[in-house]
Amino acid sequence: MQKQMNVEQWVELFKEVGLDDAQMMKWHRLFEAKYPEAHQNFLEWLRLPVEEVEKIRLKSR
Amino acid sequence: MTTYTISKLARAFGLSRSTLLYYDRIGLLPPSGRTPSGYRYYTNDDYKRLDRICNFRQAGLTLEDIRAAFESDAEPSVKVLEHRLREINQRIQDLRSKQRLLSGMMKAGSSACCPPSVDKDMWVEMLRAAGMDDDAMHRWHAEFERRSPQAHHDFLVSLGIPTREVSQIRKWAAGFQSKNLPPSPPN
Repeated sequence: MQKQMNVEQWVELFKEVGLDDAQMMKWHRLFEAKYPEAHQNFLEWLRLPVEEVEKIRLKSR
Repeated sequence: MTTYTISKLARAFGLSRSTLLYYDRIGLLPPSGRTPSGYRYYTNDDYKRLDRICNFRQAGLTLEDIRAAFESDAEPSVKVLEHRLREINQRIQDLRSKQRLLSGMMKAGSSACCPPSVDKDMWVEMLRAAGMDDDAMHRWHAEFERRSPQAHHDFLVSLGIPTREVSQIRKWAAGFQSKNLPPSPPN
């Protein structure tokens, strides 16, 4: 049984329910604009390395 | 004056005796002398030189590089660089031990080390804005539950949803059949 999710599994789950890349990007942008700190925490929670978190957040601005 | 046998010096640096024999053979670290019975002995100066060699090795320098560094010893800049190198090596070691400590804590601790500080409403609002409709959200719960029940649970708890409601959502998600029209999950 999977105890924690990683980013690939998370993305797969979103794709499974029909979110495409553009929608996921929109979601990141919203997340970053409204709750930047929570966005950071969320990405860390997915166990992304620090540089990757930084890259995603920059792209979302 | 303190002297070291080859084995004693090797041990002090966690090296093998054959490494020191090799360093002697290539002229990188010849012993200061031999005892009357022919054994190599090393002095404090040799000890310091080996310490520098190890420092350079740790930084990834080849034995050839190290020899070149020793040859240009007269240049003060080398001293400065060497000092800096030592500091960097020390910091790498510190960071490694922190890394070990943290990954040990994460393995030992709960699965959700730093749950996202988002609540349910914020989450739903963002997903909706990104284009996820009710049906997709229902399927999302069902898939999440199917793939990693524990992570689903932890995630819902981290959104501040009360435990009773979490179990309701999970129970509903577990019985969800994607082909059928989904009944609404409990609110």
